[in-house]
Amino acid sequence: MIHQRLHSFIQTRRCTLLGVGPMSLNCVDATIELANDYDTPILMIASRRQIDSEEFGGGYVNNWTTEEFAHYVTENDKKGKILLARDHGGPWQNTKEINENMGLRRAMDSAKSSYSADIAAGFQVLHIDPSIDIHGDPDVDEVLDRVFDLYDFCWSQAQRRSKEIIFEVGTEEQSGSTNSQEELDYTLRAIKKFCTKNKIPPPTFVVIQCGTRVMEMRNVGSFDSPIRVANEIPAEIQLPKMIEICNSHGIFMKEHNTDYLSDEALQWHPRLGIHAANVAPEFGVTESKALVNVLEKYGLVKLAELFLKVAYESRKWEKWMVEGTTSTDRDRALIAGHYVFSKPEIKELKDEAGIVLKRKGIDLDQYLKQEVKNSILRYLRNFRLVREI
Amino acid sequence: MKKAATIILNRNLPEVTDRLYEHLVEYDGDQTDVYVIEAGSDKKNLSKYHTWYVGTEDVLANGLRYSRGMNYGMVELLKEGRFDRYDFFFLLTNDTEFQDGPTISPLIQVLNKHPRVGLLSPCSERWGERRLLLSEKTKYFWFVHNNAYMLRREFVESICDTETPHYMDFLFDGSNFRGYGSEHELVAKAYANYWAAAITSEVWASENESHLIEHADQIRTEGYDQNLQLYISEGQRWMRKKYGFNSHWSMQQYVKSFYEKFFEFHPEYVQYKL
Repeated sequence: MIHQRLHSFIQTRRCTLLGVGPMSLNCVDATIELANDYDTPILMIASRRQIDSEEFGGGYVNNWTTEEFAHYVTENDKKGKILLARDHGGPWQNTKEINENMGLRRAMDSAKSSYSADIAAGFQVLHIDPSIDIHGDPDVDEVLDRVFDLYDFCWSQAQRRSKEIIFEVGTEEQSGSTNSQEELDYTLRAIKKFCTKNKIPPPTFVVIQCGTRVMEMRNVGSFDSPIRVANEIPAEIQLPKMIEICNSHGIFMKEHNTDYLSDEALQWHPRLGIHAANVAPEFGVTESKALVNVLEKYGLVKLAELFLKVAYESRKWEKWMVEGTTSTDRDRALIAGHYVFSKPEIKELKDEAGIVLKRKGIDLDQYLKQEVKNSILRYLRNFRLVREI
Repeated sequence: MKKAATIILNRNLPEVTDRLYEHLVEYDGDQTDVYVIEAGSDKKNLSKYHTWYVGTEDVLANGLRYSRGMNYGMVELLKEGRFDRYDFFFLLTNDTEFQDGPTISPLIQVLNKHPRVGLLSPCSERWGERRLLLSEKTKYFWFVHNNAYMLRREFVESICDTETPHYMDFLFDGSNFRGYGSEHELVAKAYANYWAAAITSEVWASENESHLIEHADQIRTEGYDQNLQLYISEGQRWMRKKYGFNSHWSMQQYVKSFYEKFFEFHPEYVQYKL
């Protein structure tokens, strides 16, 4: 049903579906409101670091557990337009599994436990991604074995609970490079064979590296680059070919790391036949920038400085830096801002700012939510999910 | 009789150009005559092997760049009655580098094996395309980067302007000065006329961008970043004006439609399709 509904929607609308990372409470609210206002399905793609079950101590987004997050979304999504999606589920995709240096079997069991909570909470799209292995570098067949194990587990769990789920596969990592066409074809064939043999529906989405890569506050991949990126197949060649392979298998192609692409590049997504695309950190950065701007604009400079300091000191910006970066400390803090929104000192800071700004006629969270909405709307418009000018 | 005419474009980098010339003579001298165009180089910076010197006011100030430069070379060959003598034209920027060993002979062998290939480029080790050239070392592409094109004369003749040959538009459209989008246009013209554009890993070539980055002053061109910005903005303007395309993706779709058609009419080459 979900698969059919999405298929029909994409075909009729000639659009690209949007996956939004739930970067913050405001981002979640903005997404729900847009999906309901414009009657468009949006995938809310939660990574395990953002949202995870009680057992894992929840995630950094609003300190929500999987159950709390799913409950909040379903309560507020009046028209049922949001598809709750697990992004990059799988072993070692949560810091606990890494910090405890879990072995393969324990990490797989841990991942299954997380998926189980997802299914129980009503997640509808599960991304099976066992490509991370902190103890080695598994080859394609080893990764596929793990995919089959997790796929079978999730399907059985869903059947037992009478929940409808669809799957996303793809051993994507943010390499900015391109999976080989042979590897994609091989992977899809193997997965379909497994599904047929076990009478499980094939995956709805497969993640394809399309030459997108997010670093700092820009997309540095080849998709939007008018010039050649060393060692990469030009997107002009890679993309049509990968789409052709996905279409031949009847599986939707999903792009990750779509953040910061230009309007022109985004407008080409539906035309090229890219079925879905994920965007996440850009929305977090949008909110951080908006917060700092409004604080500074209304003379709350000390609060802005405190936010930037806490964000900077979290050092969550480190993984986003390009080699030889010239980013300022302020840039780094803005990149890391959304990781600290739920820290008590930032909540207090926002409460204090909220009181001052209210006197000036500004509802801080409404303002921040609107900024995030504008950012999401850029994608909805360019992906033909919203028709208004 | 040599089968190929190699045309090298130089602007103020005589040592680099001479090295490329000498490499070609050493390894491919039996297969090619080598012609060097001096695109408004300073008198002290001429290649010792230069064939033609272009010293008009505009070229002195701005150079010729790839499209106008290669047109110039081919037009000169035509005027001098030497165009018909060659079966192939190998068009090189002076920053092209090859491995030690023959380059032209293997390329000619590939062209002989692929009679409908009008445009052939050696692959570069820095290009991702090398991963597509594993089981088949030569494949037909709808996008080919242009630092070392080997063109078949019949292909050139099928699309060039022989009536009023001029360096502005003989084969490439010289109005697109820096050439962003020109590769798409040439490949589209190939497939539209049932010629294929191929990349081969039988030989390798690379583009040494360090010359442009480190010697922009000497070449008398803009710095790397400014040149890049102009390359793109001018090319986009050209695409919009000439084709009404607002994006290189439109151009790509345009080329690919001809590419697909080619295989409908030449199914015998489908094994070389991407």
